[in-house]
Amino acid sequence: MTIKERQPLVELRSVSKSFGQNAALKAVSLAGWPGSIHAVTGENGAGKSTLMKLLAGVHQPDSGEILLQGRRAALGTPAKARRAGVSTVFQELTILPNLTVAENLCLGRELTRGGLLNLRALRHEAVQVLQRSGITLDPDRLCGTLSVGEQQLLEIAKGLHSEADIFIFDEPTAPLNRAEVDQLETLLRALKEQGKLVFYISHRLEEIFRFCDTVTVLKDGAHVATQPIENLTPDALVALMVGRELEALFPERPAHVPDVPALQVEHLTATPHSPPVSFTLRRGEIVGIAGLEGQGQREIIRSLAGAQERSSGTVRVWADGGHNIAVASGSVAAAVRCGVALLPEDRKGEGLYLDLSIEDNIWLGPLRQTPLWRRAPRDPSLVRRLAERMGLRTPPAQPVGSLSGGNQQKAMLGRWLAADVQILLVEQPTRGVDVGAKAEIYELLRRFTADGGAILAVSGDLPELIGLCDRILVVRSGAIVADVPGHSATEELLLGHALRSESPSKATA
Amino acid sequence: MTTLNPARTGLTRYTLGLPVVLVLLLAATQADFRSTQNLLNFSGQIGALLIVAVGQLFVTLVAGIDLSVGSVMSLASAFAATQSDPLAAVALATALGVAVGTVNGMGVAMAGVHPLVMTLSTATFLQGLAYVVLPIPGGTIAPAMAAAATGEVVGIPAPLLWCAAAALAASIVLRRTRFGAHLFAVGGHPRSAYLNGVRVKAVVVGAYVWCSVAAAWAGLFLAARVAAGDPALGASYALESVAAVALGGVQLTGGVGSVAGVVAGVLSLGLMTNGLNLFGVSPFMRGVLTGVLLLAAVSLQRRRIVGM
Repeated sequence: MTIKERQPLVELRSVSKSFGQNAALKAVSLAGWPGSIHAVTGENGAGKSTLMKLLAGVHQPDSGEILLQGRRAALGTPAKARRAGVSTVFQELTILPNLTVAENLCLGRELTRGGLLNLRALRHEAVQVLQRSGITLDPDRLCGTLSVGEQQLLEIAKGLHSEADIFIFDEPTAPLNRAEVDQLETLLRALKEQGKLVFYISHRLEEIFRFCDTVTVLKDGAHVATQPIENLTPDALVALMVGRELEALFPERPAHVPDVPALQVEHLTATPHSPPVSFTLRRGEIVGIAGLEGQGQREIIRSLAGAQERSSGTVRVWADGGHNIAVASGSVAAAVRCGVALLPEDRKGEGLYLDLSIEDNIWLGPLRQTPLWRRAPRDPSLVRRLAERMGLRTPPAQPVGSLSGGNQQKAMLGRWLAADVQILLVEQPTRGVDVGAKAEIYELLRRFTADGGAILAVSGDLPELIGLCDRILVVRSGAIVADVPGHSATEELLLGHALRSESPSKATA
Repeated sequence: MTTLNPARTGLTRYTLGLPVVLVLLLAATQADFRSTQNLLNFSGQIGALLIVAVGQLFVTLVAGIDLSVGSVMSLASAFAATQSDPLAAVALATALGVAVGTVNGMGVAMAGVHPLVMTLSTATFLQGLAYVVLPIPGGTIAPAMAAAATGEVVGIPAPLLWCAAAALAASIVLRRTRFGAHLFAVGGHPRSAYLNGVRVKAVVVGAYVWCSVAAAWAGLFLAARVAAGDPALGASYALESVAAVALGGVQLTGGVGSVAGVVAGVLSLGLMTNGLNLFGVSPFMRGVLTGVLLLAAVSLQRRRIVGM
């Protein structure tokens, strides 16, 4: 191939990066060539963004090296990476709301004359950049007033406005509508013509096949394949992205779940812009919510738990006698009174009192039903029974902060078991939990439903949802687009639903 | 550029209207207020506060707070009272400001100490040092320095000129330099600023240095005006400067503020004190009323939190 005879513009040699005990990247090697739009793709948490943040100077590799034009590059900070010719449009918006469009465009590379800002040149340059990118925005507007889509376009314009050779776009199209995506395509093609290298991070198949000429697939932090796009079909690409073996981690599913409702959600809109969702959670059932990151899963579960105000819709809890009660919006305490409890994803920040003992953390559960002026009930035998049931082998007086992720999750679960709730809303049930404890937690969740409870779980880990759940709801752009029985779910099927090309209606929302 | 947008400057009609209302009120009811002598006194009274508050503005723009300004003022006045050469006093005070600002800024930006704790520590340390340098109020201020703070130039009282110089310098830095632009960026959202290539730590250190140098000069100014050094000279200025900044519509959460607002805040605070004085309110009651007025004024300004 002729293109390979030239020198790669950027080369990553066996780079690894860990965050704590989590290996985000394992010895990944990758080369990018001038005049190329290079897609980097993979499932949630595959390491795409981490890889690009190494190039952008945000993170430093633990081992391995990064070469720019054949020379070792020191990319210690975003400012250094930018000077080395790497321009990045981050997934998180970095537009500053208290600066104007022009100031944001020129931030970090302001034009000065005699030590003072050259305001006229600065504004002139901003106008030109906006024109070149085909973006119509008033350069004097304060960015706090821009819509998310406009901010994203501004991010892109900012990325283009630099003398870079390498451009990184990290999921740039999430908030964009169709016309804006077309505009982005034109800009990307122009960069390619100029012989620049574009890394395009996305898991939208449609865009990858439309813009890109090369695809790199990552999985669990490891490099799977780098292929010219002509060699791939969408199905072949999905197959590269998924396909890990399911371990025998999961408890058996009940053969039949009786049709007794536990939680009924009607026309719930978690935020003013999200479409209404309706579903029923039955007793004895574990229902999963799947989807790409940031498609509204979190908002749905949080608004059910009362951790976030609902925009509209009703949530009903069905009690034993067959009657139901509506759960008030926006109050965790009200939800708990109705027997609905949340196990948050951020256990350390939102779920547990790290300095308190396991015992005390569990006591907080039953305390919710005790009036403030009453003596707090303490029943050591209850804690003992719970600890035994959960396989929690550490002494109950130990502070929760010193426990492993798995034991922390158990302590949090124990709190709600002690409070005798009927419905658990679980975010990322086993994030940061090692494999052995995972199986125990799955077993506990299954026991909870076998005893008549119901569970709604959000997870970014598809195999986990497939192994654990009776049903899986797939969410895209805030709407439930599929309801797949657990026993017939596959990663391909779920990803297919989650990825399916965007409906234009979303963009105008 | 529309940098006068209230979401950026924090200026509201309450911010700018309050001093105007106070002036009209006092001028209408108190004949003494209109006297040239009182106006002269007034500009002298608020001069030091204005210089410090404009410095405090820089630190609040990056979501910090500097409680050490009072002690810096006191120590600078002690230097002024123990140095016979005015240039040596100015050089010493400036060096003090740079050193204190660097320590504060590095503690906050690099060691991650909370600004309150960091600057409270330096405040305590420097207050002690001021008593070591000058145990009791007194000493002599070089005549040239006294003249610079109390004289007049072509009929304009010197304090007014110093105020104007401080406000002008701060305005130019905030609106026309890269440092100023970066102060707003860091205050808006430090991580976003960092990802855009702003050297966040350097900017924060710079803000604290600016603030401490301003405080040191305010200390010199005040010592020159009272013609003596005083190891407790600046004691009330730490909180007063924060109050003035808050009255001026500056958001203590960072990223929103303006020199015009701070000037308005200083004027309001000064007019309250001056007015209550003229009305013959007891100094103790003055504190009570100032507190109430401060809370009311700040509550009336619609709070705009940006950067979330």
